[in-house]
Amino acid sequence: MTHACALSRRALLGSLAAGGALAALPGVGRFALAGEPQERCLVVLFLRGGADGLMLVGPSAEAAYIADRPPEMRVLDSGDRKGLPLDHALDPRLDFRLHPELGPLAELYQAKQLAIIHAAGITDGTRSHFVAQDLIERGVAAEGDLAHAGSGWLTRLLGALPPRPGELVRAVCTSGSVDASLAGFGPALAAPDLNGGIGLYGGDPTRNVLAALYRTGDDPLSRSMRSAVGSLAGLDQRLRGPDGKVTPYQPENQASYDGAEAGRGLRVVAQLLKLEVGLTLAAIDMGGWDTHEGQPGRFANQAKQLGQALSAFWNDIARYHDRVTLVAVTEFGRRLRSNLSQGTDHGHAAPMLVLGGTVNGGRMYGRWPGLDADALDHGVDLAVTTDYRTVLAEIAQRRFGATPGVVFPGFTPPAPLGLLRA
Amino acid sequence: MPAFALPLELIAPVRLGYGTRPRSASADESADRLRRGGLKAWIDWQLAPDDRADAECLRRLAALRLPIKYGATPEREAVDEQRGLVTVAQPVEALWPVVIDNKAPGPERGRPRQELAAAQVTRAIWSNWGLRELMVDFWHGHFTVFGNEPRIAAALPSLDQVVRRQWAGNFRTLLEAVATNPAMLVYLNNRSSRAGSANENFARELFELHTLGRAAYLNALYNRWRDVPGAAQGQPQGYIDQDVYEAARAFTGWTIEDGQGLGGDRKLPQSGRFTYQEGWHDGYQKRVLATEFDPFQPPMADGRKVLDLVAFHPATARHLCLKLCRRLVGDAPSEALLAAAVETWTKTRSRPDQIAQVIRAIVLSPAFAQPGQPRVKRPLELVASFVRATGMEFTVTDRLLGELEASGQRLFTYPTPDGLPDEDAYWLGTNALRHRASLMLGIADNGFGTGGIDAGWTPPHLPADVAAAQWLDRLLPGGLAPDVRGRIGQAIAGGLGLAPGQPIGSAGKDTATIARRLPAYAALSAPFQYR
Repeated sequence: MTHACALSRRALLGSLAAGGALAALPGVGRFALAGEPQERCLVVLFLRGGADGLMLVGPSAEAAYIADRPPEMRVLDSGDRKGLPLDHALDPRLDFRLHPELGPLAELYQAKQLAIIHAAGITDGTRSHFVAQDLIERGVAAEGDLAHAGSGWLTRLLGALPPRPGELVRAVCTSGSVDASLAGFGPALAAPDLNGGIGLYGGDPTRNVLAALYRTGDDPLSRSMRSAVGSLAGLDQRLRGPDGKVTPYQPENQASYDGAEAGRGLRVVAQLLKLEVGLTLAAIDMGGWDTHEGQPGRFANQAKQLGQALSAFWNDIARYHDRVTLVAVTEFGRRLRSNLSQGTDHGHAAPMLVLGGTVNGGRMYGRWPGLDADALDHGVDLAVTTDYRTVLAEIAQRRFGATPGVVFPGFTPPAPLGLLRA
Repeated sequence: MPAFALPLELIAPVRLGYGTRPRSASADESADRLRRGGLKAWIDWQLAPDDRADAECLRRLAALRLPIKYGATPEREAVDEQRGLVTVAQPVEALWPVVIDNKAPGPERGRPRQELAAAQVTRAIWSNWGLRELMVDFWHGHFTVFGNEPRIAAALPSLDQVVRRQWAGNFRTLLEAVATNPAMLVYLNNRSSRAGSANENFARELFELHTLGRAAYLNALYNRWRDVPGAAQGQPQGYIDQDVYEAARAFTGWTIEDGQGLGGDRKLPQSGRFTYQEGWHDGYQKRVLATEFDPFQPPMADGRKVLDLVAFHPATARHLCLKLCRRLVGDAPSEALLAAAVETWTKTRSRPDQIAQVIRAIVLSPAFAQPGQPRVKRPLELVASFVRATGMEFTVTDRLLGELEASGQRLFTYPTPDGLPDEDAYWLGTNALRHRASLMLGIADNGFGTGGIDAGWTPPHLPADVAAAQWLDRLLPGGLAPDVRGRIGQAIAGGLGLAPGQPIGSAGKDTATIARRLPAYAALSAPFQYR
């Protein structure tokens, strides 16, 4: 299974890299030239818990890195567990490598569909998960701004876009509840999976009763219930065949999602994309990155799940690559020096990953500040040299034509990094 | 804000417990007490629970069986049985051997969590002491741990015992009992924290989640401790990262007996119990919240001093009182209510009944009757108040626990240390609402094997709109004006395709289904959904 999946991925990526032999594949041609602004979709994959950026993409040969961390807490440049080298133009002396479990990401990088922005993050000094996640999801710079940011950044992005005709699901969250990045956007679909359909117990009578009970009312429950009753019925119908049974979702190109959180979420995104229900934004979670203890094994497992999820998703939606941009972000990286629990505590900068059919991939962006003591934030953590909003604003502008200041109030981005062709 | 207001005698038992039973039932005297003695007498009665006066609940806990099934392994025989709640009263050492045995069957390793979740739902529905049950849930949320990790599952019953002893007791006492509980020591990793490079996980969440709260985290503004307002007077208004680092040092050596090596051939025993290891403790001087700690203090004195500092900090009073007001009253409590609670919290901080006094102050404040923004019931509150109000039969099953989980009501399985969000938005996502409806309808239909509503309770000659309105009055006795009930009844009947005045019996083969589900549809109307 895994073998078939890898072969298929190589075949696909090869054809893409060769520049558009894709249209020759059956069922693909119709979409090969798609990617009009009104059909585009942005997927935000939030790595919750503070992913250790120095183990995701490590400067394997940097002296301070080697001096400050034991080998099992590093991405190595030799041996059986050596990391996967990345071609880059940041600084010829630096040997950046992906964690060895991130093979699928190395392939996407080589196929020039994945870009890495290292030393990115929030500029606020917080080391609190919940504050840092809030800052990013609300799209603000500092904790003091949170009080004025009533909505999430994805909500503001959505507000800047024209509605799509016939759209049923504009935004989806797969964590079960609505993500703070979509706060203030009522009709987001919050569903961890669509496997059993998304109907209501009791079918039409229940839908009619709920619609009648909540026809009016401006309280939070009434508003949510109206929107849920409306979207559930329409979507549920689309998930069922003529016999009324839920049509099991069949990923394309032998893509194989594992059952873990990120894969489960991305599978929902792929399914909605193919249903053509107007999906514009998806907020997907992957937890488990808070590795204060037992990091080597736990991180390897996380990395494997991340690679597997992205590889399955990218294989599955090969027909949609030009329409989709995925950005992976974490609230902060982790301390350069490890603790004595074989773990790392909360730090500052980390890489952001951008994947897409129109991404100028195979490159690293940003500026590497280095790990020497005087370059570290507070003397202990990788410093932030690229504001996370620079990356997100560039995607919002380039892909959706949204004005950065509307999506990120008060933020004037520096010159674009050049992450995207279109 | 919803366009209805329910009288206090209906809403108080829901907000401060899980509702009352119908007037006719003898098992619960809560409604009568409230009517006769008023809120003051009622809250004092609820604050002094007597387990001897909870026979129905105890009987049901003793009778409850949940299935457990797994195949044979080289070490064990296959099991396929209905088993009682055998773990909930156990100390950690009794449950530890199974969870540390990687070859032990998964269902056995996860069993303590499952049994505790079943016990919690059973108590929410059947206990006379609803306030205690609600507060136990509150503290489990405040001190969240992730019970799907087997070592944490083994210690969950002991954590529950701690919370049940101190739910209305003293916060400082509760805080230390939690800080030394194996479930917390595993979850926030303090068990592996060592002098030299301490693990900061517990210390950080102690400040941010358990005590002072995020509003008192001043790190974005200050990176030098002397700049924190009040620091010069030894009374810093908030905490910064340096306090987290130093507190982490103070807790080094607070660990559990989990077989960790002690150097050479020596190892800690494997019991799961708390232990203090002086050899792992960072004994040098420290400074936490602008207070100096001398070097080389007696065992555990550094950690206990940190617990004193954070438990008695004014920001903690405010953080905890705000959480209590939001849970017991409603969103955005008035400044007056909060101030009254904070005053009581502070005044009683060394008393063994501190938390009870604060609850009392909140409930007896005039603001209790006028919450600014009513909250949506959590799914467990919805299920319990529905079962209580209908007087239906109900036995917890695995399937019911699964449906609660899907509705967002995760019992000991919330993945992050902030616990289930105390914001309505969390319960109002599309899928959560969908499961909210299936919870109510499934319980009425006996879809989860919990009991079900007897279709015969709703006579078929009654018009559907009238019957629905009658059920609403049973759910909320006297709570809604007849015209409001009538409108809701007509909306339900109309949704079912029955005209006003049209009897349920005219629905043909659907008659029994409609009769069973009508109470659930009534419970799905907004007045019963809010607390």
